Amino acid sequence: MARDYPLTGGEPPLQLTRRDFTAGLVSGSFAAPALLGMTRKAPQRIEGGFVFEDQERGHKLRDHAQFPAPQRTVKVPVVIVGGGIAGLSAAWWLQKRSFKDFVLLELADRAGGNARWGENGVTAFPWAAHYLPVPGKRATLVRELCTELGLLKDGVWDERWLCHSQQERLFINGHWQEGIEPQSGMAREDFDQFRHFAERMKAMRETGAFRVPSEDGAAHQTTGTRDLDNITFGEWMRREGLYSPYLRWYLDYCTRDDYGAAAGRVSAWAGVHYFASREPDEKGPLTWPEGNGWIARRLIGRLSAHIQTGSMVHHIRPNGHRWQVYTEGVLYDAEAVIFAAPMLLASWMIEPQPPAWPVPYAPWLVANLTLEHWPKEDDSEPAWDNVVYDSPTLGYVVATHQNLGRQPNRTVWTFYWALAGGAPADMRRVLLGGDWNYWRERILADLERVHPDIRDCVSRIDINRIGHAMPSPVPGSMFHPERIRRATPQGTLVYAHSDLSALPLFEEAQHRGVTAAQHVLRLVGRG
Amino acid sequence: MAVALFLSVLLIAACGLVYELIAGALASYLLGDSVFQFSTIIGSYLFAMGIGSWLSRFLDRALVSRFIAIELMVGLVGGFSSTLLFFAFASTGGFRFLLYLVVILLGVLVGLEIPLLMRILQERFNFKELVSNVLTFDYLGALGASLIFPLFVVPRMGLVRGAMAFGLLNALVALWSTWLFRRHLPHASPQRAACFGVLALLVAGFVYGQKITDTADATLYADEVILARTTPYQRIVLTKWKDDYRLHLNAHLQFSSKDEYRYHEALVHPGLASLAGAKHALVLGGGDGLAVREMLKYPSLESITLVDLDPAMTELFRTHPLLTKLNANALNSPRVRVVNADAFPWLEQSNDTFDFVVADFPDPNNYSLGKLFTTAFYRLLKQHVSANGLIVVQATSPMFARQSYWCIVETLKRAGFRAWPYHAYVPAFGEWGFVLAGDRDWRPPGQLPAGLRYLDAKTLPALFDFAPDMGPVPAEPNRLNDQSLVRYYEKEWREIIH
Repeated sequence: MARDYPLTGGEPPLQLTRRDFTAGLVSGSFAAPALLGMTRKAPQRIEGGFVFEDQERGHKLRDHAQFPAPQRTVKVPVVIVGGGIAGLSAAWWLQKRSFKDFVLLELADRAGGNARWGENGVTAFPWAAHYLPVPGKRATLVRELCTELGLLKDGVWDERWLCHSQQERLFINGHWQEGIEPQSGMAREDFDQFRHFAERMKAMRETGAFRVPSEDGAAHQTTGTRDLDNITFGEWMRREGLYSPYLRWYLDYCTRDDYGAAAGRVSAWAGVHYFASREPDEKGPLTWPEGNGWIARRLIGRLSAHIQTGSMVHHIRPNGHRWQVYTEGVLYDAEAVIFAAPMLLASWMIEPQPPAWPVPYAPWLVANLTLEHWPKEDDSEPAWDNVVYDSPTLGYVVATHQNLGRQPNRTVWTFYWALAGGAPADMRRVLLGGDWNYWRERILADLERVHPDIRDCVSRIDINRIGHAMPSPVPGSMFHPERIRRATPQGTLVYAHSDLSALPLFEEAQHRGVTAAQHVLRLVGRG
Repeated sequence: MAVALFLSVLLIAACGLVYELIAGALASYLLGDSVFQFSTIIGSYLFAMGIGSWLSRFLDRALVSRFIAIELMVGLVGGFSSTLLFFAFASTGGFRFLLYLVVILLGVLVGLEIPLLMRILQERFNFKELVSNVLTFDYLGALGASLIFPLFVVPRMGLVRGAMAFGLLNALVALWSTWLFRRHLPHASPQRAACFGVLALLVAGFVYGQKITDTADATLYADEVILARTTPYQRIVLTKWKDDYRLHLNAHLQFSSKDEYRYHEALVHPGLASLAGAKHALVLGGGDGLAVREMLKYPSLESITLVDLDPAMTELFRTHPLLTKLNANALNSPRVRVVNADAFPWLEQSNDTFDFVVADFPDPNNYSLGKLFTTAFYRLLKQHVSANGLIVVQATSPMFARQSYWCIVETLKRAGFRAWPYHAYVPAFGEWGFVLAGDRDWRPPGQLPAGLRYLDAKTLPALFDFAPDMGPVPAEPNRLNDQSLVRYYEKEWREIIH
């Protein structure tokens, strides 16, 4: 199924581009430039580099390196480890219940996790998660947060932060079409297959087994739905007789986009969940210049008194009925710990070491491109999300899209690339093997297919390489006993992370955070 | 000496080919069907050269001075050929006739050149060498011309100045010949004088070539372009036909001075005249100041704020004598404040409230403009309108874009306004729609300012009646996250064009 492209590691082969060739011709013959008017245009100098490179710190944890002993001990009833959406949501919930005796430890300089964001002279922009699907009526927790943040008033969503038209466009058959679902060039058979797929998803939605948060569907699982977790989404398509290349591209795009893995690798249960779990009551999604950083920012603002940034937890040890949480400066002595960091880190930090985590992670590359001006467009307007059919990348999102005025001349594009072309470990080597020049060229080459003048527009490319960006729900993930064990709050160390759902979604992170907070409040006698 | 002679053959050949190419290119530009144009022009030209060669037999005496005269004629006719043809296309119906006349005339003259030159040279070279050399240089010149024409002449000089440049070359060859063949020319001065005269004419033509091109371009349009400016936001073009001035923004007609009073009276007075004691008004868009001109007819208005994106636009309508005459110098009134800003963000940061607001934006033909017609925009606008205040929205044509029009009405209603749709007939546009909106009840004004040409209190209420073919149709409101209006608008205008 996978219509992915083999990625080659290391340096790109030396290749004479057409531009170099022309330039050589021109500079090599003295009379030609004046005669032909082909003096070489100085291309825009592109600056940039890698950002948030903390693989080293992660590997130090993995390899159980020696850390300096903490200088002091702080006694605190509750410690939250990790300041992503799960940790922030746990803290949000504790604070809502007027519980103040907790501290949130964040490794980075700023909390936010996968909702982290950046800002430059042009605009704020996301570094990872960049939107929130409009929560349906059942998603009460998310709606509660949205109401607090002023996004939902009296049951009406504020247009300001609903994604403005044009939401999405797809470059296919040589032109841009509105929407990402292919339309252009499809035969009747292809449309029939799309319809068949939609009907199947409608039936799946009606089972009630596919909900957001996924826990809500647990009671509705049947043998039929559980069996979906034994095969890949690609295999499911084969069994359903879905062979339309357009449909298969679309479904593959969706799993790469949401799970960082090709449809041929993810669990059919997860694939179905993507399409059958949501019932938005408004055209969305919700989005902001800084992506989900907009939400993180507001949560951080409310919780700043509790957040300790730059605090890397390296060990969590039981000590009688209490827990000792080691950071490089301080030892926290806690009654309860909410472990809201990626599950991958748990076996490196927690003693005794929990069983291996069963859900693999996908490697991603996210780049923010600063544009001095927009590329030429023939007969299309830039959309918020811009996708190229049959590209190995996921396309780009325009950070200034939600501006109320006309688009400014300068803008920032966030370019997403889930390296889904092979086994995650191999892809991680490719990701870390290429230097900045290599990835810059790969990104520009991909964009050049649809914007031939992109090199003249871009002045800066900052790249974030994320080795373990998100859980990829491969077959067996959803009903794995270790996943279920960790997802069920018990004892005084509780887990809280979207990893627990094996679904990298904001709603899952929030749900896990709040569930953990509720458990901890019961422990400390406040629940 | 021999090289110099053959070099002039090369130049003559190059010039001859260039004129042929210029005629072909020009005919292709102006008439289209380039295969036909090039074929017939090359054919007639070669045929005419044949005539020229045949005619050369009748020239027996004073070959050198004849040769010089022919060179000068080629230079003049060739040099001015494209200018002549441009003007002929713009101002007469006989373009094709003139085109082939010029081509044949040039062909005949060029056809005379080589036989004459060969006869002049025959005493200096033996025949075998002469034929070989002359034809070699002739063809070399043709190659040079055919390369230089598309790569340099057309892109760098254009057809008008390119022709002049090659005309100059012909004239220079003529001048040079007065020295080369001085043995045959006992009295060279008259010839030299003629050469300098032709050179002077062609130099002038070359220098003023750009102006000639511009004038020729202008005459190509139906109306005279009296002003054209490209700003970062749009292309502003003002045309004139007799006493009718028309403003085009990005090739969309904004107004015709003949009937704009109908549009602007209808835009402003039904609302403003009904608001006794309105003090502060806001105009969004409308950088031409024509709506402001109408509003200044109310002495009670203390301030009018005009917010238009494009400084070039408001500057033009504040300073250009033709345009300030048209808007009665409205933008220079002490009561008017001009702000150059994007309306949506400007409103968001503003704390002012207004009694009357005119939203006179271009039609919503893209998502960027469509934002200015959304529930979000109107809700924001509502916060800037005083309790008794009114807004009026230019709302495209209820005739040609019926669903778009009623979509705007629906959008205003969804934003919490009461809406009173109306329309007016503006000949340059056809049937045009507006929507008056406010919070309270509205009654047609009993009295209008003096001096209006279109509206009076008696007929004004009729604007609010819609004939069945323009009446309400269901439409989804236009929202930031679902711009139904842009879809309706595109669909409706596409149906009209096709």
